[in-house]
Amino acid sequence: MSVETHSHSNPHHEHPDVVGSRNRLGVILILVADIAMALSVLFVFFYLKGQNVNDMWLPAATPDSPAVLALSSKGTWYVTALAGLGAAAHFYGLKGVRAANRTQLVLGGGVALVFSLAALIYQFMQISSAPFTTTSGAYASCYYLIAALNTLHLVLTVFIAFGNWNRSRLGIYVADHWHVDIVNVWWIWMTVSSLLGAFALSFA
Amino acid sequence: MTTVTNRPASAGPSAPKKALIERLSIITGLLLGIVGAVLAWYLARTFLPVNTDGSYIKTRMDQEVFIAMIGWFVGFMTGIGALIGPFRWLLGKDLTHDETLFYAGKDQGVKRYFRYTTDHKVVGIQYLVITMVIFFVGGVLAMLIRTNLGHAGGNWLQPQTYNTVVGLHGITMVVGAIIMITGPFGNFIMPIMIGARDMAFPRLNALSFWLVVAAVPPLLSSIWLGGIPTGWSAYNPLENQAPPGMDGFIMAICIFAISTMVAGANITATAVKMRAKGMTWNRTPIFIYGVVASVALALPVFPVFFLSQVLSGLDRATGSTFFDVRGGGSPWLYENLFWIMGHPEVYVILIPALAALMEMAPVFTRRPLFSFNLAIMGIAGISGLSVLVWAHHLYVSGWAPLLNGPFMLTTELISIPTGMLFLVLIGTLWRGRVWITLPTAAIYAVLFNFTIGGITGIYLSDVSADAALHGSIFVTAHFHYTLMGAGLTSAIGALVYWFPKMTGRMFDKKLGWTAFWITQVGFNIAFMGMFMVGLAGQPRRVGAISAFYDKGNSITTMGAYIIMTGMLVLLHGVVVSWVWGTKATQNPWFAKSLEWSVAYPVPLENFDVLPVVTEDAYGYGKAQS
Repeated sequence: MSVETHSHSNPHHEHPDVVGSRNRLGVILILVADIAMALSVLFVFFYLKGQNVNDMWLPAATPDSPAVLALSSKGTWYVTALAGLGAAAHFYGLKGVRAANRTQLVLGGGVALVFSLAALIYQFMQISSAPFTTTSGAYASCYYLIAALNTLHLVLTVFIAFGNWNRSRLGIYVADHWHVDIVNVWWIWMTVSSLLGAFALSFA
Repeated sequence: MTTVTNRPASAGPSAPKKALIERLSIITGLLLGIVGAVLAWYLARTFLPVNTDGSYIKTRMDQEVFIAMIGWFVGFMTGIGALIGPFRWLLGKDLTHDETLFYAGKDQGVKRYFRYTTDHKVVGIQYLVITMVIFFVGGVLAMLIRTNLGHAGGNWLQPQTYNTVVGLHGITMVVGAIIMITGPFGNFIMPIMIGARDMAFPRLNALSFWLVVAAVPPLLSSIWLGGIPTGWSAYNPLENQAPPGMDGFIMAICIFAISTMVAGANITATAVKMRAKGMTWNRTPIFIYGVVASVALALPVFPVFFLSQVLSGLDRATGSTFFDVRGGGSPWLYENLFWIMGHPEVYVILIPALAALMEMAPVFTRRPLFSFNLAIMGIAGISGLSVLVWAHHLYVSGWAPLLNGPFMLTTELISIPTGMLFLVLIGTLWRGRVWITLPTAAIYAVLFNFTIGGITGIYLSDVSADAALHGSIFVTAHFHYTLMGAGLTSAIGALVYWFPKMTGRMFDKKLGWTAFWITQVGFNIAFMGMFMVGLAGQPRRVGAISAFYDKGNSITTMGAYIIMTGMLVLLHGVVVSWVWGTKATQNPWFAKSLEWSVAYPVPLENFDVLPVVTEDAYGYGKAQS
């Protein structure tokens, strides 16, 4: 391989756009793994529902235990709605930083953080109020799995939203906004994954 | 708190306190890991409610073991320093330039190999060492298996111990094989080969390595927790019925899967975004294609493997019923989830191994790679088809018989792109002025071994032949011919080829050749013998076998001992060459790829001035045939 050794103007410091583009690709690639995981969860749900092995997807009543009934999916759609509102608030903040409006960025990030916390708390309430345990058949197992995956996503979202808001508040994202762009990618995926879970549970 | 300060050489009483990141190392990792495990176990023991819900399989012991292992994992990763970056980001206190240099291992000598060091060269060496350790452990386990099978009746090992040894051998070797090329060479060589200063995400790079380390104690703990009687595939319902040793296996797989996903994103982003100016895709070395295809393939399939183990863990610890038919679960679901990863994983191992050979072939024949485009088509074809073949492992399970035909077709189709890679290698060697070195010999050995491994694979892809062969040790011989005969042999060739760049020393020729021939002879004796008894019907994963199979088993065990001898010579060669070997020149093979344009030791940021590439790496003149 023949090479020339022209010196770059600033070899040790890359342009923020270059770093941003690289980081965006990295996050998208990690999301590929997360998407594969989420789709696998949906596969598990529909596979077990379709098979209904031993009629234990939703077990009938026995002398020892009542029948397991599918929960209304309303709660999961509420969580998705909260996630969607958080994503919208974050996007509002992103538009602010693109227009060099720091106040809008901090406000959008702060509201997004509040929505992510609300969604997380609501998700916890849903899990704790479910009228069955993980041992109550295949539907119950899948319900907890989807809820747990969403909870994990929400915990990560709270972490990211807090960091994003805190850094915005400290003025770190004034010069360039690729960090905020990348957080937006996460918010979109978080909302979509929550929506996928709600969609699955609507077909119980 | 975490600011690095320039301290005076003598650390007197007035010397500033060491910053936090300077205090963290593998020692603090181990300490916090142990403390975390003990604390978590104690809390679980004290506060977990008694299991009264009448679930089918969950046990309190499994819950305690899982919680203790999570405590280990969190403690170890905290102690090694993996959480500093994320929390500094959270607080808006990004690492300073000095701290970044500290993380990169600047001026830390040998200590940097025991820290959360981000320099890709350090990570590459760390991977090389851990790969050799993993293979050593897996090799010892292999010798236990072969010793047990070396005489009629077995029984040298207790049945449960034998099963655990087989399972541990399987999983350690698979993990070792997955990281053997992309770990050491993908990390050390690849960034230099593409003209980059480091990986795209140096901290993720360190994370991927230390996650592998964190996975080791849970896996080894399984030995003392009742073992893993399921083999490496951990099929349900066996997995759910196994002792708590299975929890160690599950935890180790989950951690390793995260490591693979992180490494996959990092290596792909590096190759896509950080190639030197002028290094178009047509000028990008074929090794880069192989490494990227491997890790990019791992990205969507390892999460499925991860999920299969999470679900097994949930069944064992919370009483969920994903795989338990009594509660509406399905073992077929596990088999599908497992093999959606399990078969592409073979190509995750083989693609970079063959790509390393294709990288070396032009160097030692002094001619261009035969049909660069065909090589890329082969790699892409294998990657694409490999995710469509998994159910050939399920032919005899009774799952979806109507799909057997289509899966047979896709499995047999994969021999076409594989054949393309053979053609590229043979075409490059054809009428070339071959420079006979150990890497060249590895190419010939792989062509021989992989032909046998590949053709026997076609038998197994055939539904009717598979019905007869599926549960036999013929399958074991087949995949050893592919993963060891092709994969490991390629990795040994790659090790000798890049050894001068990684260590500054030439690999000892005499020891290298001795190890090579002993290993290759032993390998073919061992696994030809295994084919023989497999065709005669010897079952897999059975420790006490009939005297009918004695002859073939004796041959295989003899071969295994010869392999062991060869591997010990190789290990001796690595140590001797690394410490006392002849000092290497900058480019001992007169190769044209970028990694040979920098001297040893490679500077922290690889290049003083970033290179600009003006032609491909195979400009050795026009091919004459």
